[in-house]
Amino acid sequence: MSASTHATRSAPQPLVVSSRLKTISMVFAFLGLASFVALLFMNKERAWHAYLTGYFYFTSLALGGMFFAAIQHLSKAGWSVNIRRLSESMASFLPVAFVGGVILLIGAPTLYLWLDKGAVAADHLLQHKSGYLNMTFFVIRLVAFFGIWIFFWNKIIGLSVKQDETGEEKITSKLTAFSVAFAPFFAITYSFFSIDLLMSLEPHWFSTMFGVYAFAGLFQSTLAFLVLLVIYCMKKGVLTGYVDENHLHDLGKFLFAFTVFWAYIAYSQFMLIWYANLPEETVFFIHRMHGGWLWVSASLIVFKFIVPFLALLPQRAKRNPNHLASVAVLILIMQYVDFYWLVYPNLDSHHVVFSIFEVLVWLGFGGAFLMTTFRFLSKNAIIPRKDPRQAESNHHHVVY
Amino acid sequence: MGIESLIEKISDKGQEGFAGIWEDEHQFVEAARKTREAGVEGFEAISPFPLHGIDEAMGIPRSFIPWVTFFAGLTGCAFGLWFTWWTSAVDWPIIIAGKPMWSLPAFIPVVFELTILFGALSSVGALIAICGLPKVEPPVIDATLSSHRFALFVPKKAKGFDQQKLTDLFKQSGATEVKETRF
Repeated sequence: MSASTHATRSAPQPLVVSSRLKTISMVFAFLGLASFVALLFMNKERAWHAYLTGYFYFTSLALGGMFFAAIQHLSKAGWSVNIRRLSESMASFLPVAFVGGVILLIGAPTLYLWLDKGAVAADHLLQHKSGYLNMTFFVIRLVAFFGIWIFFWNKIIGLSVKQDETGEEKITSKLTAFSVAFAPFFAITYSFFSIDLLMSLEPHWFSTMFGVYAFAGLFQSTLAFLVLLVIYCMKKGVLTGYVDENHLHDLGKFLFAFTVFWAYIAYSQFMLIWYANLPEETVFFIHRMHGGWLWVSASLIVFKFIVPFLALLPQRAKRNPNHLASVAVLILIMQYVDFYWLVYPNLDSHHVVFSIFEVLVWLGFGGAFLMTTFRFLSKNAIIPRKDPRQAESNHHHVVY
Repeated sequence: MGIESLIEKISDKGQEGFAGIWEDEHQFVEAARKTREAGVEGFEAISPFPLHGIDEAMGIPRSFIPWVTFFAGLTGCAFGLWFTWWTSAVDWPIIIAGKPMWSLPAFIPVVFELTILFGALSSVGALIAICGLPKVEPPVIDATLSSHRFALFVPKKAKGFDQQKLTDLFKQSGATEVKETRF
């Protein structure tokens, strides 16, 4: 078959992270922190909105990395073994995300109207929702979510790393069991996490599809980041003999599928609300269909769906690393626009408020995310060492 | 007219040619490659199961069916847009829920489904057409080709057909049987 599958394989090693990359991620993290603090003094409300956007973005990527690894285990996938460690690395941001969540509690009264006692007292609907939307329960939920995620992170990533040393086949079946258990927990916790942090920004509004909308974006952007990570490691030559354009092809198909899935869910959420035309539901879209926000909404349709859809359609597009990488970058940018679009109309529903500060705060979380991800990769082999399904991944061949 | 003579009349007679039969799939894929390299074009490979790498060995280019799907999908999309506009805003305009006559969000599902319907049916249609299906009672080279053996069939009118050369080539590359046949 193709010559590339016969390339020589050296034993999988941890990634040697260049000092340049370490410096860049530290500079990002520092710049982000500095801009956040500066913003806090200039405009407290805006600072916390920027914080929430960046925080939710990278927490979602971390969970997405773990979710990707889990679905490989629970479907007993063979093709993905050689790229699984890269998705596992993304989850190492979770402990930082927990700390970030605790910090977010400081900003919560600035962000959430339902924490304003005066507003709740004057509003029947908010009183009605106060059984769920109150600080105590909010904190309990946040801690419970991270408790569950960090438990599964320990199991799903911890056991996978342990198998590198022991090579026990029993670990593979344990991983399947933990992943099966993780799936429903993930579905419920992430839905409520997105409801708590994002949907409750507009406490009068509710959408029964919000959780799945957030998930669609999470998985689309996770796949885009994973594609970039795989291509980065391929270009460094550390995946030679293990990962080639066949793996990229399947990742590209995944990315394509979840681009369509995101559009499907985004449209379904919009269509249900548009059709029923109930005031407490339409308020969300009315803000986003007027003034500058209309253009942000339109950009989501064009650049988060139509352009990636057409760009990923040809077979060659999914097998060409440079092409695939540029589509992945576009999707990651649009994922930021998506969260920005969810959060910022809460700050100003009439004007699009945007400056370098928003970018820097987001980059700050990005820097922390890259630091934890590459730290994990520099400590563990970047390819699982003794996975029983590895041969399947080494000889992965996509024919259509 | 009896049913048997009807079947006889519409049955596929195939074309005359020359076939080699292999027992081993790796030898078979190699033989296909050598046949192509010998300058033969337009030959067939018959296998009981899909073989990795046979397309490349035979030099079969990518199918054009994806293009059929793409343009049929576009047609379905355009038709859906036009048809929902014509039915609800031109031919029988009714105001529903106070919304505009032609409200795009309400019709996206229709447009979406028609895109898929046109794309899917055209792909299947194109596949059936280029495979020359349906074939009634086509000639069989050898019954074992549907269980465990593999055959290459070169039609007489194929480019580079030379029975003597093919006999040598097939036998050298491990064919256990060669014969003149129809397919």
